[in-house]
Amino acid sequence: MSEKELGKKWDRCLADGAIKIGTGLGLGIVFSVLFFKRHTWPISLGSGAGLGMAYANCQNDLRSHYMLQRSEKEQV
Amino acid sequence: MAAKILPVVKLATKVSIAGGALYVVYDSGLLGNSVQGSEALGKAKAAVPPAIEEWMKYFGLQAQLPTMPKIEFSPVQGWNSGVRWTISSLSEAPTKANEYTNQGLQYIKDLVK
Repeated sequence: MSEKELGKKWDRCLADGAIKIGTGLGLGIVFSVLFFKRHTWPISLGSGAGLGMAYANCQNDLRSHYMLQRSEKEQV
Repeated sequence: MAAKILPVVKLATKVSIAGGALYVVYDSGLLGNSVQGSEALGKAKAAVPPAIEEWMKYFGLQAQLPTMPKIEFSPVQGWNSGVRWTISSLSEAPTKANEYTNQGLQYIKDLVK
């Protein structure tokens, strides 16, 4: 993986992380206000889930360069 | 009759609001892979200044908001130059220490003479 490609992947990771944590926080706030009497735990759950999804996406993205894709497997 | 229906209506409203929020989030690709996420961030960044302008016009506060000064500072450039400075100082450190020690010894010798 070239340095440029790695840099782009990290940029994508950070952007995606910001989006997912924000979305999780937002959804957590909505659910907390609507259903859970303004408790804090749905907000924490939402942001934590968002962070986890971002981490998994980032991991997948960084590993994808070294994984054999299905089309390549068929050729081999 | 109304007293019985009201809780149901309330619950239905809440469920529809929550469901709508979930649908919007799913539809805009906010919960997809990193490519979709970074695209969504780009779209949001592009959409924010016109939206702020419209809200300002609506509230009649157009002239009051000062324009954001253009920040020329790039954190990446700052960090890289910091790293370069640190490494070059570390590599020059033994030579400089040697020089300063010699100068110090010379000074002391001159004092003792």
